[in-house]
Amino acid sequence: MNKVWTWIFLLAAGALTLLFFSNDFGLIDIQKTAVVAAIGIDVSEEEPDKWSVTAQIAVPDASAAKASNVSIPAAETVGAGIAEVNRKTGWYPTLVHCRLILLGDGVAEEDVFRVLGYFLRSEFVEDSCLVAVCEGRAQEALAAASPIGELTATAIAKVLSSEAQKTGLVCVTDLRTFAKGYYSPAKSGYLPYLSLKKEAENENGQAAGGGKEEGKGTGGAQGEDVFDASRTMLFYEGKRAAVLDAAETLAFNLAEASTDLAFGQVETKQNGETTVYGLKMKITGKKRSLALQEGVPVCTFRIRANAQIADENGRAALEEIAKKAIVPEEVLRAAEETFANKLRAVLAKTAESGCDLFGLEQALRRGFPKEYDAHKETLLRDMLPVFDIRFSTLH
Amino acid sequence: MDKLKLRQICFLFAAVLPVSKLIIYPSTLSYYAKNDLLLAAAVNFLLEGGVIALVLLLARRTQCTLFELLSNTFGKTAAKAVYLLLAAFLFFSALLPVLEHKTFVTQVLYENVPSLLSFAPFFAVSCFACVKGLKTIGRIADVALPLFCLAFTVLLLLALPQADFGALLPVGAAGGRGIFNGSLFGLPWFTECLYPLLLLGHFRYEKGGTWKTLLSFAAGAGAVLLFLAVFYGIFEDLSVLTQYPLAHIAKYTTVFTTLGRVDLFFVFAMTLLAVFCLCTPLQLCMHCVRTVFPNLQPVLPAAALNAAMLALTIVFHYSFNAVQTFYMIYAAPIVFAFCYLLPALALLLRKTPRKKEVPHE
Repeated sequence: MNKVWTWIFLLAAGALTLLFFSNDFGLIDIQKTAVVAAIGIDVSEEEPDKWSVTAQIAVPDASAAKASNVSIPAAETVGAGIAEVNRKTGWYPTLVHCRLILLGDGVAEEDVFRVLGYFLRSEFVEDSCLVAVCEGRAQEALAAASPIGELTATAIAKVLSSEAQKTGLVCVTDLRTFAKGYYSPAKSGYLPYLSLKKEAENENGQAAGGGKEEGKGTGGAQGEDVFDASRTMLFYEGKRAAVLDAAETLAFNLAEASTDLAFGQVETKQNGETTVYGLKMKITGKKRSLALQEGVPVCTFRIRANAQIADENGRAALEEIAKKAIVPEEVLRAAEETFANKLRAVLAKTAESGCDLFGLEQALRRGFPKEYDAHKETLLRDMLPVFDIRFSTLH
Repeated sequence: MDKLKLRQICFLFAAVLPVSKLIIYPSTLSYYAKNDLLLAAAVNFLLEGGVIALVLLLARRTQCTLFELLSNTFGKTAAKAVYLLLAAFLFFSALLPVLEHKTFVTQVLYENVPSLLSFAPFFAVSCFACVKGLKTIGRIADVALPLFCLAFTVLLLLALPQADFGALLPVGAAGGRGIFNGSLFGLPWFTECLYPLLLLGHFRYEKGGTWKTLLSFAAGAGAVLLFLAVFYGIFEDLSVLTQYPLAHIAKYTTVFTTLGRVDLFFVFAMTLLAVFCLCTPLQLCMHCVRTVFPNLQPVLPAAALNAAMLALTIVFHYSFNAVQTFYMIYAAPIVFAFCYLLPALALLLRKTPRKKEVPHE
């Protein structure tokens, strides 16, 4: 083959490869595309055996990010609901940018994977998107007005960010992690439990996220709302099993999750007076290990932390404020006791609900495969917890 | 003209051929072998390594090509028949990876359902590579090594923090049957041990060539095993759902929340390497055809070969799962015969031509 043909081949292959990687064969006009930022799913109010699907669609705007919520009140499946968004609006809903799946708490009464299965099947939804349950209806939560003038989905995602997880305020879960727990032999998982707090009226009465149902404006919320996700919902076999309060969530995060710096309150009694200290805790080491001692599963929580006084409810002398890095011994011991008590409360909830929050079944399966069958059913109930918690301070 | 350096064959095993096992093979393997997927893959790699060692032993003893060895033993006609069978097998073995790659590209790299035309450029590249002959395999291998090292390292580094290697425990949980099934049904992804046999006589054996090649093969195998470990560590029980882990393992790094999917640059690089990897069996198929028909202009069989592959790609556009199942269930004996038995038996072929018998007077 002569050189001319070689060059023709090379140029043709190069040009086609460019098209190949840039998808110039398969583009859909962006004007006809609806960029879905979040999906809310509720049990349908009209037909309880169907789902109400709300898509929060980001509308690019030069002045600010705006959103439009489109709700399908009754759909047989989530996929059908999303397809109906397309049918009713004429927009092609693209889910690649969907970063939040919000479930109304009615959905959690039954197996939530009846609705989440769609997102696992879809190649277009990232399994790294956040999943949360909200108190009440997801449709209402997505219609809430964010005080920081962003998309509601973005405001919720901020509350559920990895930074919030690092400070122990929220148990953040993405779709992959939640699905891994559900499909594991333990069939357990957890989701942040979001609640909407109605705040003061906005001065100019404008809301960032308006609510529209099937394209008809319903008038957005006039107030501004904040989101609280300090509680955690536990799941067993995909159903709501229990709820951890804020303090229990913090204890779980400090013991198990990727939380290394957190603030917590400790009560101490000195000279008959109760003093409440706000402690800044830096976790320096954490380890959870499972052992079988004389046939009894024993779980040891070994936690090491440094503490500093961030605040206290009483008047402090100037010298005490200057020595904020030094925490009195009785406060440290009280902190250890409080932490252990909260962990005990969490373990009690997991034993009662069957939700293997700490991955004990997994530890048993990996570490003691021969004894696994004998203990797997009764592990959560029979397990003896041992708390090896040490808080220390600068000297 | 179709000469390769031993170095290029080493690079081929270390950096080009492993890519074919990073697309759909990991999830397929995890379906059968579950957390023992490393054991199942290791069995396949050991078998392949053994066959490659045997072929290199042959390469040390002779400079003949496989065609010459076959001619010496069975005559030219039989050698041509074997080469036609080899060409058919190589074409057959290339179909699954081509369909796999097409599905990967169209499902992962495209947001919307792309046209079938999107994958057509591959056949232009492949046709060009087929026309240019074996030497392009070596040149591609030279280019591929740094690209593979960079892209693979970055993807692994981004993925490693998410991996929980404890998920691979307890060893042997899938049982002997699971590991055996993983190895057996994984055979369609382990056809590369045939390639050195077809390259016999097209590279000059150097001192220590066996060890160099086997070490390169081990490096490629190690990379695949590491990838499988990270893949299972990230997805655990969901690994069967994650059909294209190459595009997914690195996306969970938090840096992407601000920068976007930076990992896709490296996924693109690996996709490009996969294109080279896919071309290799087609180039070898073309080599077999040209050996049988030496007077044929190369552009004609190359065009016919790639047109046939394009036609099959169109025919099986919606049947990838059926094709994959067919290969996994029915192709094992064929793969074993061509890729494992034939190279092992090649050691018995005559290295020198038969002496012509002089009739008695």
